[in-house]
Amino acid sequence: MAESTFPGGSGPFGGFNSGRSPSMANVHEDEESDTITSPTNTASAAAAPGSPFANSSNFSFNASSGHSQPPSAFRPPGPDDQGFPNNYNMTRRTSVSAESLTPTHHQDSNWKAPYHQKTEDQLSRLRASVSSNFLFSHLDDDSANLVLGALVEKPIPAKDIKVITQGDAGDYFYVVERGAFDIYVNPAGHVTPGPDGMGQKVNTIGPGGSFGELALMYNAPRAATVVSTEKESTLWSLDRVTFRRILMDSAFQRRRMYESFLEEVPLLSTLTLYERSKIADALDTQKFLPGATIIREGDPGEAFFILESGEAEVYKSDSGDTVVKRYKKGDYFGELALLDDKPRAASVVAAKHGGEVKVAYLGKQGFQRLLGPVEGIMRRNDYSGGGGEGSAPATT
Amino acid sequence: MATAKFKSHFHAPHGHKLFRTNSSNLANDKPIDEEQKQKEKNFIACFECNGPPLSPSQIAENPRSKEVGVASKQLRVGDFELIKTIGTGTFARVWLSRLAGSPKEGQKVFALKILRKVDIIRLKQVEHIKNERNTLSAVAGHPFITTMITSFSDRDCLYMLLDYCPGGEVFTYLRRARRFDEDTSRFYGAEIVLILEFLHDMKGIAYRDLKPENILLDSEGHLKLVDFGFAKEISNRHGTAVDWWAFGILIYEFLVGQPPFWNQNPMKIYELIIEGKVKYPQWMSSNARDLIGSLCTVNPSQRLGNISSGGVNGTALVKSHPFFETIDWDALYHRRIKSPIIPKVKHAADASNFDNYDPPSESQSGYSKDMAQKYDHEFKDF
Repeated sequence: MAESTFPGGSGPFGGFNSGRSPSMANVHEDEESDTITSPTNTASAAAAPGSPFANSSNFSFNASSGHSQPPSAFRPPGPDDQGFPNNYNMTRRTSVSAESLTPTHHQDSNWKAPYHQKTEDQLSRLRASVSSNFLFSHLDDDSANLVLGALVEKPIPAKDIKVITQGDAGDYFYVVERGAFDIYVNPAGHVTPGPDGMGQKVNTIGPGGSFGELALMYNAPRAATVVSTEKESTLWSLDRVTFRRILMDSAFQRRRMYESFLEEVPLLSTLTLYERSKIADALDTQKFLPGATIIREGDPGEAFFILESGEAEVYKSDSGDTVVKRYKKGDYFGELALLDDKPRAASVVAAKHGGEVKVAYLGKQGFQRLLGPVEGIMRRNDYSGGGGEGSAPATT
Repeated sequence: MATAKFKSHFHAPHGHKLFRTNSSNLANDKPIDEEQKQKEKNFIACFECNGPPLSPSQIAENPRSKEVGVASKQLRVGDFELIKTIGTGTFARVWLSRLAGSPKEGQKVFALKILRKVDIIRLKQVEHIKNERNTLSAVAGHPFITTMITSFSDRDCLYMLLDYCPGGEVFTYLRRARRFDEDTSRFYGAEIVLILEFLHDMKGIAYRDLKPENILLDSEGHLKLVDFGFAKEISNRHGTAVDWWAFGILIYEFLVGQPPFWNQNPMKIYELIIEGKVKYPQWMSSNARDLIGSLCTVNPSQRLGNISSGGVNGTALVKSHPFFETIDWDALYHRRIKSPIIPKVKHAADASNFDNYDPPSESQSGYSKDMAQKYDHEFKDF
C-alpha cells in the first residue's frame, strides 16, 4: 500500500486549511446528522462493537459459503487476498442511529444545557480526564465548558455494583473521579447466565479514566460490563441527548451568528439566504493573543475576516503607532481580497490590552469554490466597491 | 368476514405467532372495501417495474399523480404468502412474498418489508420510519431505486410492498470477488451518481446510508438502492455532502475490497476519518485516486459533489470527473448499457442469491392498547 501520490503535487487533502482542525464539531454541526453508519457488525457475536477491549480476530470472509462462484468477469486479476487486515470483519454492517434531534429554532430557544456545580478542582480534573478523548479534544472552549458543566455526579456507594452491563442499550458516558472499576467482556456479546456470565476481566479503570464514550454517538449495545471494586466510588456521567444537543445547539447558534454578520457585508449583500448559509458553514475560526497580527500591511490579501469576539486595532505604516481604527464583534475586514490581489492596505492587530481575539475567516479560493467568482455576485446589483472595505471606510 | 377468508390463505412458514394473529385491523379502521381491495390487488399483480423509465423530472413532478407508492387501507398481510426471509434489520424483516390465493406458477413475487411498531418505538425510530415511507413514495419510479408499490399497516406492524430484486446484494458479489475491477466499479459508481443526482437535485433528499449492503441487483444486473430508513428531506441541499463522502468510501471499497478507514473499535475509526488519510494501493489508477480523494475530503466545503466550479454545480462536477469519462450518462439512465454482472436467476421467485436467515423469534413484548393510543397517529401515512 502506498501513500497517495496525487497528480498535481498536493495530496487529496493538500488544500486543507489547518486553521481549524477537521474537528469533530463538523460532524455535529450538521443538525441533520442523526445517523452514523457503523462499520462494525453487531450481529457478529465475537466482534463486540464499540469495544476498546475486544481483540477477537474474526476474519470471516466466507459469509455465504455454499454459493456457487459468481461469474468472474468483474473480478480484477492479481492476488486475491492481499491487503486485508487480518481482523477485518467481512460480514454485513448494520446501520445505527441516534434519536432524531432538531436544532433549536428561535421559537424555542429556551433550551439551556443543564449545569451541575463543580469545584474548580473537580473541573480541572475532569478536563484533564476527557482531554485525551477525541470526542472532547476537538470541541471549542465554549462547548467544552458546557459539556463539562453538564456532567452529573453519580456516587457509587458499594463494591460490586454493575454500572453498565454488556449487551444493554448504552445512553451514558462515564468519567471516574474516585475508586476503581473492573471491565469484563463476554465473547457472546452479552452477559450470560451462570457464575462467569460477565466473561473475562480485561482491564481496570481508575481515577481519571473513562468508559462508554460510544454511547455519546449512538445507541449501540454495551461492549463490556463495568463493575465497581471499592466501597465508595464517584463517577461523573453524561447522556447522549444532552451531549449532542449541546454540540448541535452551539453549532447552530454559531451559524446563525455568522449569517447575521454576513448580512452586514455590503460586498455580499446580493447573496441569497442559501448562499449565505453555505458561506457561514465554510468559515474557519482562528484565535489571536493580544498584540498578535491578524493581517499585515503589504501582504497579499487572500482571505476576509469577521471579528467574532474581542477587539482589534488597525495600524498604517504612515501613521506610526496611532490606532487609525478599532474593530469590535461583528465587524469585518479584508473582504476586498475576495475581489483582487492587491496587497493589504493596513495591518490589523489583536488589541494589546484586550483579551483573546477570535476571528472567522474564509479564503478567496474557498469562497470561489462555493459560489464562483465574487465579480459575478457583485454584478447582480452593481456593487461598485464604494471605494473601500471594512465595516467602515477603507482601511485594509 | 373477509379477513377470515384471507387468513386461510396466509402461510407463515415458521409458525410465527405475531403473524398468525395479527390479521386484526387498526383500531380506527374502516371495514374493508372488497371492490377497492380487488382493484388494488389487480394493480399489484400487473405492476411492472422494469419498463422504460420515466425521466427524473417526470418522477419528481407530482408523486400523487403516480399510481405507485400510495398507501392502501384495504390490504392485509393475509393477502400475501410469505415465502422466505431475504433480509433482516434491527426491527425489520423482508420477506419474498406473492399474492395469496392464486396459482404459484408464473406468479409475480415481491419483497414485503415488515416492521414491528413496538420495536420502532423502543428504538426511537418513529421519525426515520415515517421518512422512509414518504421518501420511497416520493421517489417511486426511478430506474435505480427500489419501487414501493404500496404500503399498509395493521395493529402490530407496518408493511411496505417493494419490487423484488432477484440478483441479491452487491455486497455479496463484492465479498465473493474480493474486489471489483475498475470498469465494474465505474459502472455501478455511475449508476449511484444518477441516484444521488436525482435524490439531491430533484427531490432534496439525502440518503445517508450508502453501502454495498443497501444496493441490490435486479434481474438484468442494474442497481436498485434499498432501505431508505435514514433518508431525510433536507433544506437548501444542506446535508447532501454526507452522501458524497460515503460515495467516495463506496468506490474505494469496490476497488479495494474494504473501506479505507477500518478498525475493530468504532471510536478508532472516527479518529482515522478525522485524520482523513486515505491509503491507495499502488495498482489503483490516478483517476480513481483523484476521484476518491476529492470525495473523501474531510472539510465538506472542499468536497467534490458539494463544490462548484465555473458555474458547474456539484453533481455535474462529479459526472465530468475523468474517472467517468467513458460513461454515456443518458444511455446509462435508460438502462441501455449492459451490466458487468448478470445475476443467475432460475425463475421469478428464485431467492438463491440471498443468504439464509434465521426464522423470526417469538415476539417478547406486544404493542399494547396504550401504545396504540399514544403512537398510532404517527403511523397514519401507512
